[in-house]
Order: sequence, then structure tokens, then C-alpha cells
Amino acid sequence: MIKVEQISKSFKDTQILHDISFEIKKGDFVAVMGPSGSGKSTLLYSISGMDSISDGRVLFEEINISEMQEDELSGFRLTKMGFVFQNAQMLKNLSVFDNITLPGLVAKKQSADDIRKRASGLMKRMEIEGIEERDIREVSGGQLQRASICRAMINNPEILFLDEPTGALNSGATDQVLAILEDLNRDGMTIMTVTHDQRVAAKARKVIYIRDGQIAASKEFSVCADRERELDEWLKGFLVFDSVSN
Amino acid sequence: MKLLLNLVRKDFKRNRVITTALAVFLILSALLMAGGLRVAGIMISSLNGLNELAVPPEYLQMHKGTYDEEAFQNFVETHDYIKDSQIVKMLDIRNANIIYQSETLENCLMDNGFVIQNEGFDLLLNMDNEIAVVQDGEIGVPVYYAEELGIQVGDVITLHEGDYRKELSVSAIIRDASMNAALTSSKRFLISQADLNEISLHMGVWEYCFEFLLEDGSSTAVLEKDYIDAGMPSNGVAVTGSLLSMLNNLSHGLVAFIIIAISILLIMIAVLCLSYIIRATMAEENYTIGEMKAIGFPGKAIEKLYQMKYIILVLLAGVIGYLAAIPFGDFFSSSVIMYCGYGTGEWMKWLFPFIGVILLSLIVMLGCRRIIRRNLKSTVMELMRGEEKIKREGHYSLPSAGLKHRNLTIACGELKCKWKEYAVIFFVFIFSSFLILLPMNMKNTIENPSFITYMGVAECDIRIDIQYSEKLAEQKDAVQSYLENDSEIEKYAIYRNGYVQLQNADGEWEYIRVESGDESVFPLEYLEGNAPDDSKEMALSYLNASELGKEVGDSLRVTYQGEELLFTVCGIYQDITYGGKTGKAAIDFEENDVEVYIIYLDVYDGVAIEEKTDKLRSILTDSKITPNSEFVSQTLGGISDNMSLVEGAAIVISLLLIVLITVMILQLITAREHSAIAIKKAIGFANRDIRIQFGIQILMIQFVAIVVGTVLANFLGEVIFGWMLSFMGVSKITMLVEPVTAYLLCPAAQLLVVFITVIVGTKVVRNYHIRDQIIE
Repeated sequence: MIKVEQISKSFKDTQILHDISFEIKKGDFVAVMGPSGSGKSTLLYSISGMDSISDGRVLFEEINISEMQEDELSGFRLTKMGFVFQNAQMLKNLSVFDNITLPGLVAKKQSADDIRKRASGLMKRMEIEGIEERDIREVSGGQLQRASICRAMINNPEILFLDEPTGALNSGATDQVLAILEDLNRDGMTIMTVTHDQRVAAKARKVIYIRDGQIAASKEFSVCADRERELDEWLKGFLVFDSVSN
Repeated sequence: MKLLLNLVRKDFKRNRVITTALAVFLILSALLMAGGLRVAGIMISSLNGLNELAVPPEYLQMHKGTYDEEAFQNFVETHDYIKDSQIVKMLDIRNANIIYQSETLENCLMDNGFVIQNEGFDLLLNMDNEIAVVQDGEIGVPVYYAEELGIQVGDVITLHEGDYRKELSVSAIIRDASMNAALTSSKRFLISQADLNEISLHMGVWEYCFEFLLEDGSSTAVLEKDYIDAGMPSNGVAVTGSLLSMLNNLSHGLVAFIIIAISILLIMIAVLCLSYIIRATMAEENYTIGEMKAIGFPGKAIEKLYQMKYIILVLLAGVIGYLAAIPFGDFFSSSVIMYCGYGTGEWMKWLFPFIGVILLSLIVMLGCRRIIRRNLKSTVMELMRGEEKIKREGHYSLPSAGLKHRNLTIACGELKCKWKEYAVIFFVFIFSSFLILLPMNMKNTIENPSFITYMGVAECDIRIDIQYSEKLAEQKDAVQSYLENDSEIEKYAIYRNGYVQLQNADGEWEYIRVESGDESVFPLEYLEGNAPDDSKEMALSYLNASELGKEVGDSLRVTYQGEELLFTVCGIYQDITYGGKTGKAAIDFEENDVEVYIIYLDVYDGVAIEEKTDKLRSILTDSKITPNSEFVSQTLGGISDNMSLVEGAAIVISLLLIVLITVMILQLITAREHSAIAIKKAIGFANRDIRIQFGIQILMIQFVAIVVGTVLANFLGEVIFGWMLSFMGVSKITMLVEPVTAYLLCPAAQLLVVFITVIVGTKVVRNYHIRDQIIE
């Protein structure tokens, strides 16, 4: 679905990403981990076309999105991709429901009625019914993050990009969000997430570990009950190294 | 201190656009404040200076014909309140006999008299404000002609009558405290005694000015009454010194008044903008202030840090504004300087703007301190969370039918929530539109021939003045018999003007000028009531009625030739001629008492007024014939020219102001909305969409503001203009608007300027990115 081919990104004299290549298949759940400042988020934004790259290319269903113009890219993101950020980023002057429906109404892939129905359905699925008309400051962090996922899903995207989706949530809210992500992936949604949280990464089938803008290692995990322990074992080596280096 | 300066320098570097815009705004405010006050200072100094040096008379009576000099001397000696007096001999020469650069002055409205320099008072000054001296063969030309015709020192003025020709070389341009103003219908040329004697043998008619200076506290009204009661020579206009200075002040003062009024309004807007900008920039700094407070920076030190920035800015702006005000003020004072010189109080033009700049600086500094102190009162967490900002905004709903025009819908929705943020720009747009239209509408009104209706006269094509002759009736009859047989004349009416005595509110008798004739031929628009229908009715000019405290229906006691007549006030009309104090009544003036016959006429459609005027001038050589439009433009010429300058400056200032405020507001709002911009981009809005949304908001606000500004310029403009002219005798004026310019071109130009500014000003949207919102 997405082929990342030798992408590099530099800003002024600093090399942020260096010669990164990997592939995301349809239905994959990929987690990107790494120490702070390693370039995880930059990688996510570069792949999703939100940020430019200095070298290499990103193919989305064989379309080279690295060469797209900004306006073309924004339309592409609107219909093909969904985004969830660490602090649920929503527009202050819209209610929770309008925030969710906005990308759908802008994309015009479905009728306004269908968009509303879909939004209500998503809210029900995320168990946040009843907060539709509320101000975004009147709901909890967990509710807001789930509303963000609803917004990301409104146009039925082909891939969901998440940047530290549980970074600002407490333990209970994290569990809710993780259950939703797992559920969505089970239904076939392709997911790529950047995370510090091993619990999030443990839901992924593939984990990429980034260090100093390069892929230090990557591993595909089998579907097993004790994936969290398996991941923990795998990460141990990196974490020890990173803490010594820091 | 060094640390503070370093921090300020870094802050300037970081917020270059806002700091530059703020600096430009402050400079503009300082410039206008200082410039307006410099114009006021120069004007006061110039007018006072000219009056001090030239000593104009406090009462002046023109007279044509013979007079008894001994009787005049006796009159002066028997009236203690007369401080000084003189008889000025003036040789009136017809405009057709005065030639400059092969052209006669026939087209000029002014009556031209040739005089020698006075000795005691009413002195004619040269351009250095020294008593002008001309040698034989030389002439001093009124500054009015230097301005209107471009006459310069070294040029030649030729007088001719039949075979007689006299060439005089212009050796001085003359400032005349009594007759400087375009509104004064006579002008004086200065020549030597020998030349005057020689010329008088060949051409011209002698006219005499009986001039008086009064002891302090004496009233010109008393002198006027005593003078006429004593049967002193009075075949001509009588003018008081206060009327002369009013005409002088009006010619220059009106423009200075408009500039100062505009400056005050602009400064108010500037202070409003500054306060908004300071609040907005301080709001952006809340997080940093919170951090500083968190690490234990004392409140005083933070206050000092932020004040330092604004103090440096305002001081810099003050110095630049003060210096820039020198050419700015001089440009708008050029007319008063030309006509009156720099005057004796030149310190005013330096001190007034200095005080203004200091005041402005204090206002800004105190305003800053207040806002900074208020911000410092918040707790660290309130500052870092930006809580104040969150509380204010409301909600809008997306339409259930979907987003047909997504950018329009979102722009309108956000505008509904954030309208308070746009309040300042809305007021600035209203003000700019008002500022552009007001002088433009005023100029249009003044330049329109229908302005004649404010001169106590109905609209007509041509006017003929028959005056300053001992054979007025004969001349009038000759003109009448010609007009009667001229097939191109549609209609005409003859009006006789003379003086009657009228009892004022204090019971004293005053002389007023009354026009008598058939008022139905050229009906005038009356403020109240109607034109006099019969011999028992009298209409009064607005100023006259106000001063006398008369209204329509009141009775009025008038004496003419010793006989007391009782009139009823039938109407009140507007008139700026003769100091605004005139009347209209069917008084049967004796031929000797008629001061002037004025004939108004209309030509048939298709007859060219200019050509007809030339033809009449060639036939009726003894009369002054002026097209109506020329009469208005020459009478108000100086004011109209100055208004053009003000109009140009108002357009430039307004456009600069709207560009500046648009850039600043966009900078501030995009910075405040960085998070919303980044979110919109993240969910699929293109940069272009977001820029369009800002554009729609700004242009919608501007559109509404232009409508409001235009309505205000029309209605409030009429009130302001009417108030300005009320000193001249106009109480209610109808603003004449040029619709294509006012309603189409001006709004289009303003919208275009803002549109271009938005295109440039919203480029910053590209820099906002969702990753900047996320703390890793």
C-alpha cells in the first residue's frame, strides 16, 4: 500500500531522516518507536505528505505523493488518510460533532445526511454518544481522543496515521483507545502509529525502531497472546543502549 | 540595563513584521499629531503675524463719488473711540484694461484698485512681511494673482485705455491683511505716487476707503451707526475688521481645521489600534511571561522588560514623526504661508508639535503599562494555559445541508465567533472610507455650481453686477434694454441692493444689506418659510435671523430714510456673502441708495454659457459679467484648491492605514490562530482554502465598513460640513456626491488594496504545521 523508498530529510545542516525504506501493506498495523528526537514524528509526517522530504520517494498505491503539489496533497490526505494526534487537535469554534463531520462535509464523498449518520455510528462505536453538541473543552481527554479517531475515520480512509495517540491520556482512557485501534485494525484498517508506549506498540504487527533518523531495527510480531512480553524482550537491547548513550 | 536591551533586540528580531508595523503605526500617529499641530501653529502665527504687522482697519467704508474731507475730519475728532483714521484713495481700473501676458483680467471676478502705500495702518507687505516699497514704473501684485495667474516678480503688467498704455514691472508680491482672501471681492495693486497720478489722468475711477482703528473695547456697530447717521460718505460696501479676519481665517482655517480634525480622528484610531496590538502581542507573550514568573523573575523586572520595548518604539516614532511633520505641516501650510507669511510666533510651529508628540508618547506608555500590569496579575498557570483567550470565543454550527461553499461557510462561522477580534479593523475601515469620502464630497459640493444657493442666490447661468458708478441706473437701463431684445436669453431678473437699518436683539439699530426684486423668477430654496410676497414681508439670512433671534412669523422693525417700517419675517435662507448677514424685501430703494444692481439670467438650452458671457462682456463693457460656475469657483477658489490637497492626502493616508492595519491584524490573527490553521491543514484543507477564509472575513468586514463609512460620510459629513460653514452663514448643507467615484471607484479601490494585502499577508499560513502543535 505504501512504499517508502530511501527517504531522507534535512533541515538546515541537520540530517533528521537518513535513507529510510520500508513498506506498509494493506491491513498492517505498524508502530514506530525510538527515543525522543530520533525522528519518529518526522517520519510519520513525511510519509503522510504533511511534511516534505529532501530525498527519496513515498509511493501510495503506486502514486508518488512526494511529487504532489500542496493543494493536490491536501485533497489526497482528506480522502485517503486519517490523522490522530497526541493532544486531540480540534477546532475550538465547533462542537464535537461538527469537528467530526467537517472533513466529511469538505470531502463531499457522501451526502451530508450520510456523513451525519456515519459520524453518529462512529461515535456509538467509540462509546462517546451524548457529547455531540458539547464544546471540546467540556469533554474528557479520552473522549476527545476517541472523537479524534471518529474524525479521522469519517471519510473511510485507507490508512490511519497516529502520532502518540495515548501520550496525553490516563491509563483508563489509553485502554479504551487501544481497544478501538485493535478493533479497527481487525476490521481491515491500515494503521501506522508513532509511540513511546509499549502497550500501543504491542498492538502492532510490525515495529520499527528509529534512532538518529535511521531504522535501527524492525520486527514483525506474530499474533500471539504474549506479544507484549515478546516486544519487551526485543526492545530491551535498544532501550539499554539508548539510556547509556543519553 | 544591558541585559534588557539585549532582550529587546532579540524580541525585535523575532517579531519583525509586527514590530515594524507597530513602529510605522506609531510614526504615522506621531506624524499626524505633530503635523496637525504644526499646521495649527503656523496658521495662528501667520494670521496673527500678518495682522500685527499690517494693522488692518477695524472698520472700512468704501465710497465712490465726491466727499467732504473737512466733515470727515470733524467726525473723527468728535468721536473719542476712534483711535486712528485715514482716507485711502484707490483708483479702480476695469479688469478689461489690465493685461498680463497678452490676456486681460476680464475673466477675473475681483474688482481691482491701484493704491499707494499707506502710512499709518492697513499696510501692504511684501513676501518678507516688510512694508512693501515700489519705485516709479514698478507694481506690487496681490498674492491672490500670484497664486491664481502665476504672476512673478519681473513680469510686466500693462494698463491700457484707448491710446494710453502703461507698462509696470512687477517688483513685489503683496500681502494685504484686508483683502487677501479669495472670499474678499476686491484686490489692491501697489504703485508709486507718480504712477498713480499719471494713470489717473488717463483711466480709472477714484474710490475711497474710509478706514478706522478703534480704542480698545469700542464697538464697530456703534461707529457704523454714528457714521451713517452723520451722513458720512457711504456709497459702497462697509466692512468690519472682524469680517475681514473671518474671511481670511476661513480661506485658510477651513483646510487647517479639516486637517486637524482628521488628525484627531486618526490619532484616536491609532491609539485604539495600538491598544489592540499591544494587548494582542502581550497575549502572545503570556506563555513567556508565565515562564518568567515561574522561574522567579520579579514582576517589576518583567514590566520593565516589556515596557522598554514600547518606550524605545514610541521614542523612535516620536522623533521620526516630529521630523517628518516638518515637510508634512509645511506642505499643508503652504497656502497660509504664501498669503500671510510665517508670522511672528514661529516658536508655535516647533512647540505645538513637540507637546503633541510628548502627549502621544505618554498616552502610549501609560496604555502599555496598564495592559502589562493587568497581564502580570494572572497566575503562572493562567498565563501558560492562555485561559483568558479560551473563555471568550463562542460556537458556530455547520449547516445540516452540507458545505456547498466550504470556505464561505467556515469564514462566516468563524467571523461570528471571533468578531471581537475584528472590531478594530472594522472601525479603521469605516474611518478610512469616511476619510476618503468626506473631503471628496465636500470638494464636489463646493465645486458644484448649485453651491450658489448657499450664497443667497438661486441657480442661474450668468450674473451681471452693475456697481461703483455714479450712473448706476443708466447702466442698468442699458443692460435691461439689451437683455429684453436678446433672443438667447430665456429669463432674467433685476435685483437692487441697498442698506436699511434694523433693530437688533439689544434694541440697537444696525445696517443690513437688503436685496429687492422679483424673487419668483429665480426662486431660492429656503431653510424655513418662503420668499417675500408683498411689501410687508422680509426674508432674513440664517446668520441674521440667528443674531436677531428672529423666526418665521416674527415682526421686524426697519427704518429706511427715517421712516419706520414693520415687516414680518417670511423666510430664512442661507447666505455666505457679505458676512452672511443679508435680507430680502420689496423695499423701494431710491436710485441714490442703490449700491449695486445684480441681474441674474438664464440662457436657452443649447446656448453656450461661456460664449454668451464673452459676447455680453464685449457689448456691456461697463458691467461685470460672470458665469455662475465661475463666480462660485473664484469666490471659493482658494478653499477648493486646498481641499484638493486635503483630498489627495486623505486618500493616501487612508490607503496606507488600511494596508498597515490589514497586515498587522493578519499577522496577529494568524499567529493567534496557528493551532486552528495547523488543524485545518492536517484534516485536509489546503493553504489556499485557509487564505481564502481569511480573505473572505477581512473583505466582508471591509465591505460592511465601507457601507457604514459611506453612509456616515453622507449624513455625518453634512452635519460636519454644515457646522464648519455655519460660521459663514450656512446651517444646513446638502452634500453633493459624485456617485461613480463615491459609490463605485472608491470602494473598489479600497477593496482591491485590501485584497492584494490579504494575498501577501496570508502567505504566512504556509509556515504553520501540525507538528508545531505537538510537544514530543
